[in-house]
Amino acid sequence: METTVKSKALDTFKEATETILNPVLKKWVEGGGKVMGYFCSYGPEELITAAGMVPMRVRATGSTSTELADAYLSSINCSFCRHAFNAGLSGDYDFLEGVLWLNNCDHVRRIYDNWWRKIDTPLAHMMSLPKMSGDTQVEWYKDELVNFKAAVEKHLGITITDDKLREAIKTHNETRQLLRQLYELRKKDNPPITGAESLAVVVASTCMPRAEYNQMLKELLGELKGAEGIKDYQVRLMMIGSILDDPEYVKVIEDMGGLVVTDSLCFGTRICWGDVDEKAKDPLQALAKYYIQDKPACPRMFDQQVGRSNFVKDMVKEFKVDGVIGLRMVMCDLWTGELFMTDKDLKATKIPLLRLEREYAVVGAGQLRTRAQAFIESIGGRR
Amino acid sequence: MSRVPTQPEKAIKLYKDDVEYMQMMKDLLAGDTSEEGEINRAVIQAVMDRSNEVLQCIEEDEPFIASWYPYSAEFLTAMDVTWWMFAQTAFLGIESPHVLDDIDGGERLLGSDFCTVLRLLLYYVEADISPKPSALVALLHPCDGTTIVHQAIKHGKWGDIPMFGADPPYWDDERAIEYYANEMRRLVDFVGEVTGKKLDIDRLREVCEQSNKNYALWQEYNELRRAIPCPHDWTIGPPQAFAMATYYNVGKPEGEEWFKKLVANAERRVKEKVDPIAGGERIRVLWFDILPLMWQFDIQPWMESEWGVNLVMNMFGYTPYTPIDTKDENTMFHDMAKRSLNDFPMIRQARGVADNFLSDIEKIVKDYSIDCVIWPGHMGHKDGSASIGMMREKCRDIGVPFLYIGLDLFDKRYTSPDEVKDILSKFFSQHGLGNK
Repeated sequence: METTVKSKALDTFKEATETILNPVLKKWVEGGGKVMGYFCSYGPEELITAAGMVPMRVRATGSTSTELADAYLSSINCSFCRHAFNAGLSGDYDFLEGVLWLNNCDHVRRIYDNWWRKIDTPLAHMMSLPKMSGDTQVEWYKDELVNFKAAVEKHLGITITDDKLREAIKTHNETRQLLRQLYELRKKDNPPITGAESLAVVVASTCMPRAEYNQMLKELLGELKGAEGIKDYQVRLMMIGSILDDPEYVKVIEDMGGLVVTDSLCFGTRICWGDVDEKAKDPLQALAKYYIQDKPACPRMFDQQVGRSNFVKDMVKEFKVDGVIGLRMVMCDLWTGELFMTDKDLKATKIPLLRLEREYAVVGAGQLRTRAQAFIESIGGRR
Repeated sequence: MSRVPTQPEKAIKLYKDDVEYMQMMKDLLAGDTSEEGEINRAVIQAVMDRSNEVLQCIEEDEPFIASWYPYSAEFLTAMDVTWWMFAQTAFLGIESPHVLDDIDGGERLLGSDFCTVLRLLLYYVEADISPKPSALVALLHPCDGTTIVHQAIKHGKWGDIPMFGADPPYWDDERAIEYYANEMRRLVDFVGEVTGKKLDIDRLREVCEQSNKNYALWQEYNELRRAIPCPHDWTIGPPQAFAMATYYNVGKPEGEEWFKKLVANAERRVKEKVDPIAGGERIRVLWFDILPLMWQFDIQPWMESEWGVNLVMNMFGYTPYTPIDTKDENTMFHDMAKRSLNDFPMIRQARGVADNFLSDIEKIVKDYSIDCVIWPGHMGHKDGSASIGMMREKCRDIGVPFLYIGLDLFDKRYTSPDEVKDILSKFFSQHGLGNK
């Protein structure tokens, strides 16, 4: 299952998901451009862009081993963290000018402690992310932004002006709006793009110079608008979970006849549903409000469970979803609890849920195919 | 309108059974007329008293709160609010015959790699075998498990009771402490609303002053544990001291009385050079976590008899506490917040950056003449297990052997006692520790 559109932009996006230092980013680095990694969808990428760097969400694409990281972490740490830290120890991220962490989960936050002790990245910064979303937390996060901004300014010897921040916010809002246009196309009965391809588009947004990316995405959207839609699917699916950056995983499910039309994922709606207020007097305040109160929340946000559940249910309606696939990285406590609750919420509304456990670097195609096929068949009769 | 929710019948029966079980344990110790026996019986009595207070609240329709030790409970004592750590249900049941079934019940809800204690918590709520409080004070740190399990509890059978959570910052500086002090003020307001009780600042001062005395005595006791041989083994001292200071007797004179007896007993034993290890203390261990509560009788006596191990210090027995400044309301809230964020065990090490793991190991090894450090690697402690490389390197730097096991402190089916004994034996042998 794939789009009927032949698109250079889409090919570039797909290519970006296959390596850490993709060709577009490599060109940027070779031209003297700086890149700053970050680990979480709560990372204020606008601020990195405003500093003249490319924000890059850290992945471990292509990693086949965790042998270096295993000297520091243990088997009860999630495989994403072990592979990502291993990639750092292997030198795959030597091109980074800095890395930003937030205490988003127990595994990732400890990568910070290990990373700065073992890897010579010029700037390693940690932000304290609240676990609630009230106005007090917006103020706390804003202060954290002030500290992060100061650290970047000091490190690079620059000043990040409000104008630069506003410009970056505008650019990143444009990305979000364009991505939402992509999702809008996926609402159609015959969407012009698959879930695997859409995931590649979203992942690419986190590892390319943003203005260039936006231009390419506009081209892709133009190509998709007149395209023939995908018809050879049996059911429409939504995926929910944390970090999934491998389109191949989605492709295995789609090849079984389940078209993924929307999601609640870190590389998905969680980074594009909503915009930062461009007209706000204080751009840092606007950023803080967006990240703490406006963007779709992750399970670490203690007071947002009802909102998260409603988000999934609303998406199911809007995108005419037949079934939901809940993904949990093995050892992830947050998504263990989240799926326990989501399961009950979806059962109450008679929406089928398939819970899948996964490891970061292993698609496990055989088993995944069997589980997906059984699920699709079980709900296929509903259409 | 009732101020206490309708109680599940099973829960009350089970809870009364727990009290009877504690009474039976106390009765068993009745024949032990030694000072140590008296100290242990007083702890059991404190456990029973708290349980009975909860049962009394239920009978008399008096509000009671489920909360956690890392909330500096001085304000609750001052407000005269009955609170209990609903994890206590899990801890008390931990030695009971049905605990393995309960763990399996928890596994059906949250899978097998989620912290066993937190799985048990949700299971007890969902299976209606925990008393239902008037309000729940959730804990949002130190781990992801606590953050999400309280959401799951609120989502389920306790959905109809008010819940509060204080947002913990990641840092431990003044800004973080002030932030958390405000969170604690919100908490006091919440408790006031659900119980109808008010916080009197003069009473809070009295309680904090008493609490300072209790903590000072605990520190005095810990000074005595530095002696070689250590005056007490694992059966007396750190776990009880933690429970008495931070939970059962927070800011109460009864706590001071108990600590005085503990200190006096340790003092005498140090003077008389009493070695609690039958064959003589040969390895002084820092067990850097909770003790393996469900199966401690499988491991600790064996370590003592086979290797001459004394678990001189553990994470919960360590006392990095500073007194609460009782000058005014602001200083008291500031210092309760500081204690809540930076001092309480597990929160101190696991909440923020990993530095406290390392500095605590270094200080304890030096202060208590530790021969080796054991990080048991509880399956729920993901952040700690992501710190093993740092801990190992710290131990290497200060010249003390380090062992990471990988087990479940509450379920011996995860890594069996025999496997653990084998790992420990190899470790001690390889490092030439414990030779007779």
